[in-house]
Amino acid sequence: MCREGDRCRYLHEEGSSSSSDEDQTKILTEGKVSKTPKKQTDLDNKIGRCSASSSNSDANRTNVNEEHPTSAPTDEMDLSSTSSSNSTDSQAGVEPVICQYFQQGCCMFGDNCFNKHEVLANTDHSSCKSSDVLQSTSVKSSIIAPSASEKDASAPQVQLAKTSRQHSPPTVLPSSSLEINELKTVESKTRLRVNAPEFIPGKFACAPPADPAPAPDHVNDTKEASSSKTWAQVVNCTAGNGVPSPNVSLCPYAEAGDCPYAENCTYLHGDTCEFCGNSCLHPTNEEQRKSHTDECIKQHEREMELAFAVARSKDKQCGVCFEVVVDKNPASEQRFGILPNCNHCFCLACIRKWRQAKQFENKIIRACPECRVTSDFVCPSMYWVDTKEEKDKLIMAYKDALSNKQCKYFKQGRGKCPFGNKCFYLHAYPDGTKVDTGPPIRRHRQNADGETDVLQLFLWDFLDERDNRWLYSLDDLDLVAFLSGSDDSDASEIDYF
Amino acid sequence: MANIAAQRIKREFKEVIKSEEVAKCAIKVELVSDSYTELKGEIAGPPDTPYEGGNFVLEIKVPETYPFNPPKVRFLTKIWHPNISSVTGAICLDILKDQWAAAMTLRTVLLSLQALLSAAEPDDPQDAVVAKQYKDAPDMFRLTARYWTAAYAGGPYSNPDFDSKIRRLTDMGIESHDARVALSSFNWDLERATEQLFS
Repeated sequence: MCREGDRCRYLHEEGSSSSSDEDQTKILTEGKVSKTPKKQTDLDNKIGRCSASSSNSDANRTNVNEEHPTSAPTDEMDLSSTSSSNSTDSQAGVEPVICQYFQQGCCMFGDNCFNKHEVLANTDHSSCKSSDVLQSTSVKSSIIAPSASEKDASAPQVQLAKTSRQHSPPTVLPSSSLEINELKTVESKTRLRVNAPEFIPGKFACAPPADPAPAPDHVNDTKEASSSKTWAQVVNCTAGNGVPSPNVSLCPYAEAGDCPYAENCTYLHGDTCEFCGNSCLHPTNEEQRKSHTDECIKQHEREMELAFAVARSKDKQCGVCFEVVVDKNPASEQRFGILPNCNHCFCLACIRKWRQAKQFENKIIRACPECRVTSDFVCPSMYWVDTKEEKDKLIMAYKDALSNKQCKYFKQGRGKCPFGNKCFYLHAYPDGTKVDTGPPIRRHRQNADGETDVLQLFLWDFLDERDNRWLYSLDDLDLVAFLSGSDDSDASEIDYF
Repeated sequence: MANIAAQRIKREFKEVIKSEEVAKCAIKVELVSDSYTELKGEIAGPPDTPYEGGNFVLEIKVPETYPFNPPKVRFLTKIWHPNISSVTGAICLDILKDQWAAAMTLRTVLLSLQALLSAAEPDDPQDAVVAKQYKDAPDMFRLTARYWTAAYAGGPYSNPDFDSKIRRLTDMGIESHDARVALSSFNWDLERATEQLFS
């Protein structure tokens, strides 16, 4: 009997209620979930059934199950998918059960224990042994394991619950429901307490002797593998049966590179990834393996690309100052100024200074100092670009980055940008709708011969003049994932990707 | 001097010294001062021109804004050329003025000047007298240029006719250089040259 009485957290179905055996039986034979209307609220509020109070009803119910093999003991569990054919086999625990705690040498009840303190080479127990060992390690690990802090409240409880099941493998719980339970446990560790099967130590001691003979054999064949799974097995599947569920998550420490527990870690250590060298490939979850490998390959490609970019930038000399751009001092000068229309190499500072030279005509300073091919703008870059594809990519990224900045002339609609739709900057209203402001403003003026010149303003005629000011604003742009160096500001001199 | 200019001239100086043109004795650069702001260039007269066999010395002044502005170059050696002043040695060459490009170097400047000697541009003259002769009396221009090359740049050419005319004027107390300039300007017409010198 439960000392807590009505205040017990667990459901007192028989012991504390007045429901008769007949009522219970009737409900059970009808195959319905055994809830008498008046107990409904109790059942809703109380999660499991109090083990101390339910021993009688257990006995009754098992009888009922015998008489109605097709009826399912659904009320036992909140998860009640049942296989009724197994229910008759679940009657093994009629004899005094051998105490598992005693078997492990740690029964706190000592001589007062309900269960038999006797070391037996029972088939059940022998088959459970491996899991028992695991179980004990898992108890330990639940205290010391790296991620135990979030679980340490729930883990021991589950431990107990599972252990109670192991005491009598021919348990009343159908195997399928058990498995579901286990899966759930794994899936949502936060709900462990809710999903944990009830803990009923005295249950089987009181169960009536009903056909005990076939039970052990049968159980061993069919249900042992699943029903005897321990917490450790569930968590660390590789140690259990060698085939971990794809849903089991990997040890985050091993995944990130180094687990201090190495092989002793209770969590699953994946296979070693040949790219990153971490144990982060899930042994069975193909999807995870694939996505990780893809990620690693991508990472590897990015690194290769960077290595190539660094290699091809290495000895590049600026055509103006003749210094090797990547060796320039200070580091903020180590940027390339890429001209879109030719392939001559300059450092950003030099080419911009050249393009601001006042003493020459526009045509001269817009032109490459080496080949005189006119380029409309200079694209800053951390690395040298050789091929057209790389250059196109870089320039696209540069323009993209600029096009995300508000145009200071358009002022979100309050101003007028003379560069119209040729402006590199963003023309959008405050609500984000983009505006096509038409072609750049045309200015007509008569020249000395009376002919009309049409002058069109282009942003790039002004770009370089403003470049010096821009240098600062560009630096805080999160420009361009690759190559275009904008975050090479002095603050971050580390390689940027 | 701005750091960038000095740095660049140093690098260029090394580059010129190692270049193959130096190996062929076509161009040469020397330091005049340690500051890298003043240099002395030398170019060989290109073959198949009136300047063949001569060595022409140039004064090179590097501005502080180099390489964003061109170096100031002039001929120290007297030369008879439509685009080079026969008096001051000033050069009319677009790349040394408005067509300069920051990527140009001492080497490219000297090579450009060498090219200028082979291909004069009489429509954009520095010395109008020479340019006129170049256009009106090309044969006389070639002879004169060659004579100047021999007289000032160490060329092998000799012209006894020109020599005797100059001697006539020097005998009258005229400096040989002034005599040469006067005679050259009047297509080696002794009378007009004398007239001009004594007018």
